[in-house]
Amino acid sequence: MSFGERTSRILLSTPVLRIGSIFTTLFGISIFVFLVLRVIPGDSIVGAFGIETGVLTPEQIAQLKIYYGIDKSLPMQYLSWMQSFLTGNMGYSYSTGISIASLTAKALPVTIELALIGTILGVVMGIAVGTFSARKPGSIRDFAGQLFGLMALAVPGFVLSTTIVTIMANKFHYFPNGYEFVRLWEDPWMNLQQMMFPGLVLGIAVAAPVMRTTRSALLETVDKDFVRTAIGKGVNPRKVQTRHILRNSLIPIVTMTGIQFGYLLGGAVIVENIFSLPGMGRQVLYAITRREYATVQSSVMVFAILFIAINVITDLIYRKVDPRIKK
Amino acid sequence: MVAGVAFVAPAQAASKDLAIGVTLDIDKLDPHTATSFSTVRMLGLTYGSLVEVGPKLDIRSGLAASWGFNADSTELRLKLRKGVKFHDGSAFDAEDVKASINRVLDTKTTAAARANIATITSVTGSGLSVLIKLSVPNAPILAALDGVNMSMLSSDDIAANKIGKTVNGTGPFKFVSWEPGQSVKLEKNATYWKAPVKLDTVTFRIIPTEASILAALNAGTIQFSVLTSPTVALQVGKNLNLYRTPGLGYVTLQLNARVAPLNKLDVRLAIQCAINRAEVVKTAASGEAKVVGPITSPAYASDPNDRPCPNVDLAKTKKYLADAGYADGLTIKAIVSPTQYATASGTAQNLKAQLAKAGINLELDILDNATYVSRWLAGDFAAAVANNGGRIDPDTMYTRYFPSTGNLNKVAGYSSATMDALFLKGKATGRAAERKVVYKQISQELENNAVWIWLFAPYEYRAAAKNVTGFIPLATGSLIELRVVDLK
Repeated sequence: MSFGERTSRILLSTPVLRIGSIFTTLFGISIFVFLVLRVIPGDSIVGAFGIETGVLTPEQIAQLKIYYGIDKSLPMQYLSWMQSFLTGNMGYSYSTGISIASLTAKALPVTIELALIGTILGVVMGIAVGTFSARKPGSIRDFAGQLFGLMALAVPGFVLSTTIVTIMANKFHYFPNGYEFVRLWEDPWMNLQQMMFPGLVLGIAVAAPVMRTTRSALLETVDKDFVRTAIGKGVNPRKVQTRHILRNSLIPIVTMTGIQFGYLLGGAVIVENIFSLPGMGRQVLYAITRREYATVQSSVMVFAILFIAINVITDLIYRKVDPRIKK
Repeated sequence: MVAGVAFVAPAQAASKDLAIGVTLDIDKLDPHTATSFSTVRMLGLTYGSLVEVGPKLDIRSGLAASWGFNADSTELRLKLRKGVKFHDGSAFDAEDVKASINRVLDTKTTAAARANIATITSVTGSGLSVLIKLSVPNAPILAALDGVNMSMLSSDDIAANKIGKTVNGTGPFKFVSWEPGQSVKLEKNATYWKAPVKLDTVTFRIIPTEASILAALNAGTIQFSVLTSPTVALQVGKNLNLYRTPGLGYVTLQLNARVAPLNKLDVRLAIQCAINRAEVVKTAASGEAKVVGPITSPAYASDPNDRPCPNVDLAKTKKYLADAGYADGLTIKAIVSPTQYATASGTAQNLKAQLAKAGINLELDILDNATYVSRWLAGDFAAAVANNGGRIDPDTMYTRYFPSTGNLNKVAGYSSATMDALFLKGKATGRAAERKVVYKQISQELENNAVWIWLFAPYEYRAAAKNVTGFIPLATGSLIELRVVDLK
């Protein structure tokens, strides 16, 4: 094989193509977010000064443009931010006076912990109810399971969160999120109390699609030949249920769980707000309202990297769940 | 109750620690450039100004013990309070006043209050005496010396470029720490110049939704809160104290009289006659607001009924529309930002419903806050549903809007020679009785020309646990009276 052929084979191999597509995706996202933020009206000065921007003199505006780095051309602004991002400090938050990397280092663990708790609770509830439902399709238990799925989908997170907060505070004088947020390694018991209800709200939201996916995957698998054969051979029904049916239904469940976990990382803003959790959702929302461009851009890039990482992990889990995929 | 007992909450310390729930974090530590309510509120506890606004909206002595104008109100002489110290222990004197006012006037500072004191030409003095010279007669300058944006800073800190990096004020509380997105901690200033401060610490805890703040109050995890939503305030139970104060700010339908068809007086008057303000208050603010005219400060308050249409008069609306050539009705676009304040959406929707009855289609352009502010500042709107801040002096409240030279005149969308003359007269008049006459004329000029449609003044709410005693609410929104609060 010639050198040229070997090079093109390496370049066209799956891992290289995969890595290439990841970097292309991240670059595309960085450009998209950068441009969207510049297209929407308002800038960092309006975000910081509000209506008082109107009383600033042209000289003051010019000085503030230099301060916020928005006096430069768009390509220069992009390159300046990208350089900061790649060197690890991710830029500078003007409202807090500290680096975005420091802010993210504090906010990201909160969001990841919340998303993990939500996903674990959601998967446990979803698989349990889905299995419960699929055992006797068309029965009352199936109806009850599907009703749970429908309600979990239909009730908005903010309604559920507010209801929980109000009932717990008014009836039981209990709202641990009213205290300052405590990290897992500082006080695990208090942290669990602060994460329990928001995790449950997110878990219920995850449980609905996982339950529906589990139910339909199980119903599809249960009619397969190998299941009938196992039952015919007299294999223990519990073993058939777990080893043959559930194991072979896991691929769509894993896919759905991966997607939901990714959404939770970027979409827990409302729950973070109601339960006063200082996570990434709040960081991005606050930065958008203040037009802190670097904070929004860097945070979105972190989300994008995480989302891609979750996809890769999901692919690896596929291989574990279904050995045929390795081939 | 079982759940409440089963879960262990952090033990209450013996010291007097007050936790305050607020929805927004602070965004800077420089009092001269602070503009967000949350930052102004917090820094107001750590810094002091030359004068203060009291509960009855009267001007009181602050770091200045006494003052006096010369005959034509072009010189203001101040006697500073004796024995005042900054948190770092250094003494407060005339040098600090000079450095602070000059810092506000310096365009490089981008100070929020610069426009209010732009008539100051020089600040001189030594020891505890200060002389402020003005370019024109300007009695309202005294009111402009109040507030966080006019905080007195240490001249040494200014020289060392420490402002915004550290907090070294003369206020009742010392700054301890700021955890962005979570909390700001303050502690008692044992050498505060006024009565001894009773609270040991004050912590501002960021809880982004007001419903959750109320939950935290009910659960006892915080003891004090700042609320803006009438809906949430109405849910405050008897287990808490609710302080309800009519604010100086006001909600209005701004009309841009430089844009057709609102450049026709008849169209603007038609809108004024079609709006029942009490209904807006009932619908948008659950009845929790006061119908007002242009000037909200009690000393100069406009009579809300002193206008061409004090009540809804659809017959007049139709006549005005016909006279303007819009007998078949017309469409007006209005910008609104629902995230800006609690009653924004309700106000806009109710105005739309009321105007529809008169054949006026109010088309709502719903925007996020920064987009709204950006278009508002550019005057890029026909109408705007706005919640504007108020001041205790009508000159500082409106001089940036309605005189043709005002730096927000583009936003006001209206100016006239009469208005210019009245504002100049108001500025130059020192006697309270004469000033009242001038500002009544200004109020009438604004209402008779339906420049904007002034709707209501929302209440300022503070909710506190029963063991929080002695708090005095202020219409300015300041929390400075936490200096006299005790925890029983």
